[in-house]
Amino acid sequence: MKVLLMGHPNVGKSVIFNRLTGANVISSNYPGTTVDYTQGYMRQSGQDIQLVDVPGTFSLEPRDKAEEVAVKMLRENRDARVICVIDASKLERGLYLALEIMEQGFPMVLALNQWDIAQDKNMVIDARKLEHILGIPVVPTVAISGEGVSTLMARLMETGPASPTEILTRLKVGDLMTHPECSGCGRCLAH
Amino acid sequence: MRQPLDRMAFEQEGEVVDIPLDLRSRLAALGLRVGKRVRMITREPLRGPVVVLVEHASVSLGIGIADRICVEVDE
Repeated sequence: MKVLLMGHPNVGKSVIFNRLTGANVISSNYPGTTVDYTQGYMRQSGQDIQLVDVPGTFSLEPRDKAEEVAVKMLRENRDARVICVIDASKLERGLYLALEIMEQGFPMVLALNQWDIAQDKNMVIDARKLEHILGIPVVPTVAISGEGVSTLMARLMETGPASPTEILTRLKVGDLMTHPECSGCGRCLAH
Repeated sequence: MRQPLDRMAFEQEGEVVDIPLDLRSRLAALGLRVGKRVRMITREPLRGPVVVLVEHASVSLGIGIADRICVEVDE
């Protein structure tokens, strides 16, 4: 099974990658680009897993070489599972990419990484509620200390493809889709 | 008062009221959308980039893009 680690640049993907794979790491050149991705192997619940540390990207509409690699990885691995890593202290920003990946139908877990930093900033994040809204596992993690990282893998095994339309139903914003020019400000929910 | 984002003064706050359609998806990925509160945290001289804070995340923008984002600044 292939697992893609995705997320914004500098959220801790590689730290999670190193935690999960240990020393068994291979670095490779992606053909046609100068941007590297890294892959490694691990075992989880008796299964061999190929883990890929994908270059950081802000969206699935690529703006540079690194983002092109990320988008290509998804396109060429339709049967992969995704760990989307976001910076818990910048939760809102990270959800955009998370939803884009979910829209493509990949089974996914969301890692709220740097959870300790969010707590230091007195941010209160209801991970269980977020999990309920998104319909996918949401796991607080502190990659540098390893907290939550094993939970992340265990829960990735049990998850299925997410349904963005169900998210809209849960948020009662079903008509959002009918406004093609909507920038997602949330205002039109009142209309 | 409405003005382009790049004209905001240091530490000034406001709300994004308009983003041109061609920039929307790119900026949404960075967390910058219509209705968001922004605060100017860095201004560089000589038409250099600006950095604004949106939902605890800093977003740096070239002046050419910042100029096209319309903000209702606080009085």
